[in-house]
Amino acid sequence: MTPFLEVRDMKKQCGAVKAVDGVAMSVGPGEIVGVIGPNGSGKTTLGQIKPTAGSVEFCGEDITGMSPLELSRRGVGRTFQTLQVFVKLSVRDNLIAAAQEFKGTMPGRLFAAPDAGLGHHADEMIELFRLKHVAYLPAGSLSYGQQKLIDIAMAFMPAPRLVLLDEPCAGVNPSLVDQLHDLLVELNKTQGGSFVVIEHNMDFIMKLCPHVVCMVEGKVLAEGPPKEVQSNRQVLEAYLGN
Amino acid sequence: MADFLQLIISGTATGAIYALCALGFTLLWQASGTINFAQGEFVMLPAFMMLFFINTAGLPLWLAFLLTCLVAMLLLGYTFKRVIVDPLIRHGVIPMVIATLGLSIGVKQLTKAGVTAQAMPFNSPFPDGLLALGDFKVSYADIGTLLMAGLIVIGLQLFLNRTVTGRAMQAVAQNTDAAKVLGINVQRMVLYVFLINAVLAVVAALLVTPTYLAKFDMGESIGLKAFYAAIIGGFNQTRGALLGGVLVGVLENLTGAYISPAYKEGVALLLFLVVICSRSTRSCRYSSRTTAST
Repeated sequence: MTPFLEVRDMKKQCGAVKAVDGVAMSVGPGEIVGVIGPNGSGKTTLGQIKPTAGSVEFCGEDITGMSPLELSRRGVGRTFQTLQVFVKLSVRDNLIAAAQEFKGTMPGRLFAAPDAGLGHHADEMIELFRLKHVAYLPAGSLSYGQQKLIDIAMAFMPAPRLVLLDEPCAGVNPSLVDQLHDLLVELNKTQGGSFVVIEHNMDFIMKLCPHVVCMVEGKVLAEGPPKEVQSNRQVLEAYLGN
Repeated sequence: MADFLQLIISGTATGAIYALCALGFTLLWQASGTINFAQGEFVMLPAFMMLFFINTAGLPLWLAFLLTCLVAMLLLGYTFKRVIVDPLIRHGVIPMVIATLGLSIGVKQLTKAGVTAQAMPFNSPFPDGLLALGDFKVSYADIGTLLMAGLIVIGLQLFLNRTVTGRAMQAVAQNTDAAKVLGINVQRMVLYVFLINAVLAVVAALLVTPTYLAKFDMGESIGLKAFYAAIIGGFNQTRGALLGGVLVGVLENLTGAYISPAYKEGVALLLFLVVICSRSTRSCRYSSRTTAST
């Protein structure tokens, strides 16, 4: 399979600490790759795509160190550990705001209607994420779990070709975690993008991702199918100790 | 009763001008974290620009106003953002405050030395005279000011709430990081806010200069009162800025009429101090409650 995202010898030095130390990985079209590892293993730093050395290629283009705006324009959607929602806007308006930059021309957008022709798509996403009953409420008035769903839905609104999800299950209750799993599977089928899921929740990753990368101390310790990684002795030691 | 109503109407008209400037303060703060202490001079400069277009180029007022809007967008919007705000904003609020205070002094002195130190008369865009409804009389200037300021505010609110760009501007004001990640062109949205602020300043200049006259220091009082109005209204809320402006204008008028004209200028400051003190007290109570509960 031709790599869609190719990370080559990525290094990130933060002072004396090597947060990421020579990581190489690739993601194919439509593939869901999980990145696991204990705290401080460099998972999140890897997802930031801002290395001090090495390169990151997306569809054959070097995207190393690109700004969020440039990445977004190339079809890379992202969520972060912290929520990135607009608390005073309604759920529906959050979703529309997430995709409006990709709709029409700049002068056209200047006085375009607030839904920018995205209302129907936003309603579909609201239906999919089961947020219909809160669609017109301000995002800030909802629970953390619901805001997390909005955050993820926003990343998928412009139909990105690649989505980097950083700890999508953090702070989310177990029933929502199951819902999130089903949603990501559904979105992968319907939108067809590739996902990189950085997560602590082993069950979630093992169930969702056909390919898993385990990082420890900034390096890739093991990678492969979930069962293989799960039974790897070094991975068990990294998680459970000797 | 008729006198009281007249005072309220003319106070609201004056307050509407403060509100336009206060709105500029608030929008700049929300979008880019900029506090512009040269806001008063941003009103004074367009007044002189319009006078130049009228007296030197012989243009009618409406055309002078439109041309001044364009020049102000370029000079007080785009250039101000690129030359002063962009290089300084990453260093925090204090350098911005110092720079805009310096800009205020510089612009004033340059106008005084380079243009004139004299107060220049400026024709009102509205007809002279009073509209009389029995005992109740209100000037056409007050009605015109209220209508024009009201239309500008309604137009701005419609733009912010009913267009996709307006929503994107709100998104940037609420969470810049999220907006960047989602591909919203934050710099462009912030530029729009600076351009809007420049137009608000020109409208304020058009409405206020017939009363204040075009003078190099005319912005001092307007800028200060608009700042007070923005703080009184909550600083981070556009509706609060409007309310703050109107409140200052009305209370000034009532104080001038019923207490003494000498105290008129101190009303905004007094209101500002009351708001600041009550907010500090509330913050102290909140933090002591939080500390006690943890």
